[in-house]
Amino acid sequence: VRMRRSAAVGAATAFSLILTGCFGGTAGSQDSAPPQQSSGPVELRYLIGQPEEAADLAVIKADIKNFESQNEGITIKLDVMPNENLRTVLQTQLRSGKGPDVFGYDTGPGFAGALAKAGLLHDLTGAYQKYNWPIYDFAKQRVTFDGKLVGIPNAMETVGLFYNKDLFAKHGLAEPQNLGELMAGAAKLRDAGVIPIAVNDKEGWQGGHLLSMALSSEIGGAGMDKLLAGETPWDDPSVVKALQVWADMAEQKLLPPSPTAINYDTGNALFYSGKAAINPTGAWLALDIERNAKFEVGYIPFPSSTGTGIWSGGLGSGIFVSASTTKIDAAEKFLNYGTTQEHGKWAVEKLRVIPAYPVDTTGIKGSALFNQILADTAKIAEGTGDFGYNIDVLTNDTFNNAMWKGMQGILSDQATPEEVAKQLQKNFKKPTG
Amino acid sequence: MAAPASTAPLVTRRAQRRLGILLALPVTVMIVVFFLIPLANALVYSVVDFDGVSPNPTFVGAANFVEMFTDPAVWHALGNNVIWIVIGTAVPMVVGLLIALLLWGVRRGSMFYRLCFFLPFVLPAVAVGIVWGWIYDPVQGLLNKSLGALGLDSLQRGWLGDPTWALYAVLVTAIWGATGFAVVIFISALRNVDVELVDASLIDGANAAARLWYIILPQIMPVFLMVLTLTLVGGFSVFDIIFVMTGGGPADATEVIGTYAYSTAFELSRIGYGTTLALLITVLSVPVAVALNRLQRRLSLQGTGA
Repeated sequence: VRMRRSAAVGAATAFSLILTGCFGGTAGSQDSAPPQQSSGPVELRYLIGQPEEAADLAVIKADIKNFESQNEGITIKLDVMPNENLRTVLQTQLRSGKGPDVFGYDTGPGFAGALAKAGLLHDLTGAYQKYNWPIYDFAKQRVTFDGKLVGIPNAMETVGLFYNKDLFAKHGLAEPQNLGELMAGAAKLRDAGVIPIAVNDKEGWQGGHLLSMALSSEIGGAGMDKLLAGETPWDDPSVVKALQVWADMAEQKLLPPSPTAINYDTGNALFYSGKAAINPTGAWLALDIERNAKFEVGYIPFPSSTGTGIWSGGLGSGIFVSASTTKIDAAEKFLNYGTTQEHGKWAVEKLRVIPAYPVDTTGIKGSALFNQILADTAKIAEGTGDFGYNIDVLTNDTFNNAMWKGMQGILSDQATPEEVAKQLQKNFKKPTG
Repeated sequence: MAAPASTAPLVTRRAQRRLGILLALPVTVMIVVFFLIPLANALVYSVVDFDGVSPNPTFVGAANFVEMFTDPAVWHALGNNVIWIVIGTAVPMVVGLLIALLLWGVRRGSMFYRLCFFLPFVLPAVAVGIVWGWIYDPVQGLLNKSLGALGLDSLQRGWLGDPTWALYAVLVTAIWGATGFAVVIFISALRNVDVELVDASLIDGANAAARLWYIILPQIMPVFLMVLTLTLVGGFSVFDIIFVMTGGGPADATEVIGTYAYSTAFELSRIGYGTTLALLITVLSVPVAVALNRLQRRLSLQGTGA
């Protein structure tokens, strides 16, 4: 009997150890003691996703050195990780309590929202008041979960169409004023042996941008608000129509052969090399375009059936602090450094990243393309005019997965727009709170 | 009949027992740490709704298993696994054996040939996937360029983006990598084949196929089964090459259970359901591996084979 009992106790102990191992012993800020305030020399571990180009990483490292020189006693240990691994590794590290003190991560409900819900993010509401960070109100809303501000949005983005002005001029094309003109111009380019629109969707996420731009332009900002609020169903004819645009383009061979076999880098390379005339992507590519394109580039919203269309805008990534960090003071100082006017100008000038707070860009040297992007993004920040949304930063994982696979299905002729719209509606979850 | 009692002194028996425990301990620890604990972990995950971050996931009983059997995506992925297992096992085995037979009698440069065939197998799957991804590129890829140069433009396509061809395109890459392994192992096995039996069958007028079937294959059967087991089990758990080359796309066209389990667990943050899918791979592959292993052992005990 004693042996059985000890075996049972052993089994129970093993089971509880396995459970602890499975779900981690760290419950995040909800259950843990309040974080200590740091004092004396501290080292912050700062984790970010791999920048597109190595040169950008060198710029970020120089910026960190600058922060360290201004804040004696605080050093930053920079960790860089491939973006595709960031999510998995970060979640595991945060749960184990061994995560970075500060990290860059996406701001949407499927990203930072999930971490906040699990109590893995430090509440920055007090720090916002203490430092008076000048983040735009609409941007603050995107990092507010359960009434707590948990991050600093650090990049504003638009998605639209970059086009090769030289190629357009060579083939006698003007900037398209509506969808019909875009299709007609693309057909002319196709007949001349040029890939009209360098759609690439091997990774899948690009599909979200394709739908965002076509849908935003077609139904406008108010229409997008209703869709995202769940007031209009996602299998509405307007969504089907936006999906149909890309199905038609694929059918009319206005896209590269088999766009689902082409990755993002290859798609961009087609544009840089002049083999493709239009690149549908986001303003974050501006710096790379300045570096790589040997021709004049224009940037326009995706046209609607009746006009020039509107920008799909939104927030990119943000900066967050781990709930388990014991170096709150230092972490907040680092965040504060990233929200100053000087840093904002630096981000615009060196990285072509547009901060989510007002920045005086007078005197910043930029190409005509980037100046236009700055001006357009400023309108979104000010709420001037109509603008749509980049859908995937506002919806959850399940919906994004359905959207990305659905667009791949349309581009590879495996699904109809109606079928994809039904899947979108099935996977949409009304926002709460 | 009772086993004869040991005649060794008690002290020696104790020492032997201690030595036995000591020798078995490292393997036992490894099995516990690397197999039993992860398996128990997986079983716990499979009965909860765990999103990867929540410290207190909900217990859902058998719900993940019920969902697995009613999920059309699982059956689609399993279908792709079956295609992968059949083609991805048969082709390397057959081609590998044929190449090994061709190289069997080669004396000069045999090391060079073996190196050439084995090299793809030792290359990291990620590197192989990336390089073959370039070959298959629809615009700049070597394959489409070659087809164009040969005037076969109608055969050009986006190999990895075409739902009809994508799985087979990845399979070709995997077969390219796996065949070398079979070649090297079969060459080693063929060295132990009794050449006198082969010569005798030649005198008796046996043709090449008869010699292979009745003389050579029975002698290398245990090795053949070992290679078959490894290749077959690899087909159940295939993940890396598909993940690198297509990520399971376009739109699930190349999804297998391995990639579906990964995307469910880490992209949709459904660790519980993803683990259940991973357990399915174990449940399907272990009986096959055990059966083939038993057959191999039986043949070895019968004294058949290399």
